[in-house]
Amino acid sequence: MKTYTETLYDSYGQEFQVDKLYFENKTDHQHLVIFENAKFGRVMALDGIIQTTEADEFIYHEMLTHVPVLAHGDVKNVLIIGGGDGGMLREVCKHQNVEHITQVEIDNQVIEMCKEYLPNHSAGAYDDRRVEIVIDDGANFVNSTDKKFDVIISDSTDPIGPGGALFTLDFYGACKKCLNPGGILVTQNGVAYMQLDEVSTTYKRFQPHFNDRTFYSAAVPTYIGGIMTFAWGTNNTEARTQSLDTIEQRFKQANIKTRYYNPAIHLASFALPQYILDALESEN
Amino acid sequence: MKHLTVKSTKAATPYQALVEQYGSPLLLLDCDKLVKQYHELSNALPGVEFFYAIKSLPHPAAIHTLEQLGAGFDIATSGEIDLLWEQHAAPRHTIHTHPIKRDSDIRDALRFGCTTFVVDNIYELEKFVDYRHRVGLLIRVSFPNPNSPVDLSRKFGCKPGEVELLLQKASNMGLHVKGLSFHAGSQCPEPSNHVHAIKQCKQIIDNVYNNTGKLLSILDIGGGFPVEYTGDACDTESFCQPIREALEELPGNVHIIAEPGRFLSAPAMTSICTVMGKAHRGESTWYYLDDGVYGSYSGQIFDHATYPLTIFSDHKEKEQAVFAGPTCDSIDVIAENLTMPPLNIGDIVIGKQMGAYTSASATDFNLFKRAKIVVINQDKEQSLTDEKLA
Repeated sequence: MKTYTETLYDSYGQEFQVDKLYFENKTDHQHLVIFENAKFGRVMALDGIIQTTEADEFIYHEMLTHVPVLAHGDVKNVLIIGGGDGGMLREVCKHQNVEHITQVEIDNQVIEMCKEYLPNHSAGAYDDRRVEIVIDDGANFVNSTDKKFDVIISDSTDPIGPGGALFTLDFYGACKKCLNPGGILVTQNGVAYMQLDEVSTTYKRFQPHFNDRTFYSAAVPTYIGGIMTFAWGTNNTEARTQSLDTIEQRFKQANIKTRYYNPAIHLASFALPQYILDALESEN
Repeated sequence: MKHLTVKSTKAATPYQALVEQYGSPLLLLDCDKLVKQYHELSNALPGVEFFYAIKSLPHPAAIHTLEQLGAGFDIATSGEIDLLWEQHAAPRHTIHTHPIKRDSDIRDALRFGCTTFVVDNIYELEKFVDYRHRVGLLIRVSFPNPNSPVDLSRKFGCKPGEVELLLQKASNMGLHVKGLSFHAGSQCPEPSNHVHAIKQCKQIIDNVYNNTGKLLSILDIGGGFPVEYTGDACDTESFCQPIREALEELPGNVHIIAEPGRFLSAPAMTSICTVMGKAHRGESTWYYLDDGVYGSYSGQIFDHATYPLTIFSDHKEKEQAVFAGPTCDSIDVIAENLTMPPLNIGDIVIGKQMGAYTSASATDFNLFKRAKIVVINQDKEQSLTDEKLA
């Protein structure tokens, strides 16, 4: 393989030069590759779609972690759904005040493979004593668990395929049931410019469950087509209107090092372009 | 080509050598012939992008050879996708052309990386709603092709008048239709089906643009390019000339693609089988060959083809003969009313132009072993040449 062409869209796409193929696994259910690219380092792709790269993963993982954790201000228990590459776990583990982290991954092999071929994603986080790994379907877990969490992060694959169940009304309802009072659910919600209806669908499905529902955003280069949106659902209506001072204070207290996230970005990321606001408006 | 050619026994030597080496029956796949056919069609239809119809000869060597030449692939099933996986073919250069698909077929194709699909009705459009961001669709239009031995307009394709409604429905569902496709029939004796269909499609493309402003920027002209079997010779250049002229009338933004199968694969395979028994019945001598219509000659049933045969004899006298296949079924007869010199048990019989829809539709009936496919001239590693195999 000399190049890898993403086939997420028919009429548009990105292509990577492959300097070295580290791993390829083709089963009846999926095709997974991990390769080296000069610009993005190690790249993992599943079924023709880029999942994560070493070079730009920090944007995604920092934003899905630090925004809800610092907006909440007193997070003790975190649930990560999916996230087998370990990047989310690494970011959550940075928060010393967090006491317990549960990660639910459907396939243990993903974790083992990522530890081996994408070691910088987890960066040892799987060895953190606060971490509990559950091998289960994410939707099944939130439906059956009695545990409660302050923040739930849904780090799922594309809605097509195994991740589809993590975009349903029922799943969001089950997540809400697992949240402590004031808890926050955040989910990756795709690239809005390319898939605007996924934003409005999630917005609609959050409606019965959360008093405050919106999106925040960040541009991740290899999730092509503009800004990626993260869905935000909570009954804690004050969480996203914390002042810059408050967030700066919490960030300082947390004493964590970031490369994308900072308090100004935190607040600004909730500002949405008009085309997204119009799409949300049409669902009201 | 004649139905039966008699050559001297000397000419049989290279075939006999192959049978000694690999056994009988055999199918000899000559990759050079694929290359020659590909170039011939490319020269006759410049600017047209070719997607080899895998179904005609789903063999790894054919895939490999054509991919090296820059061909894309026309896939219809998940099995064909698996074959492309194995050959590491580039998914961006594939189109899924089966008009009727299960959800699992769509997912398999998307997982592979094929994002172009063909639809011809509203129920099929609905299947793509979940995948609307990922796919580009072609609407298959049906035009009558009465001149073709295999009429492909009956089972699939919408009427030309239905296209605009389907486009409207697709648009409402958020689906992108990027062009049209048609199939003029298989093994067309002359190009009038193609020319007619291209003209009709031009009209649809123009009307859609004028009425709605929508660009249909791909026209898939299917296959149907003929090869020579036992009938008259057909010249590719003169067959394609009127097609070229019709294509020139299309708006400049329309990218033309085609799905040749038979044209590329038919000349690439030669059948070699052996007389395994003979009997005098009535006026004729019956020769029982070790390959027949349940095997490599299945195209005589399914594909309405008759293949040019060659035998080797130095005898002058001739007699009435029948060639029958090896199975117990009486339908298993390859050729009757032949007038030819007598053959002996162990003599070989050659079938030419047997690459397309032969082994592809062969069965395991009677559990009689299928012909082994022997590949020559792949990547020029082997040096068997046409001269030796006259």
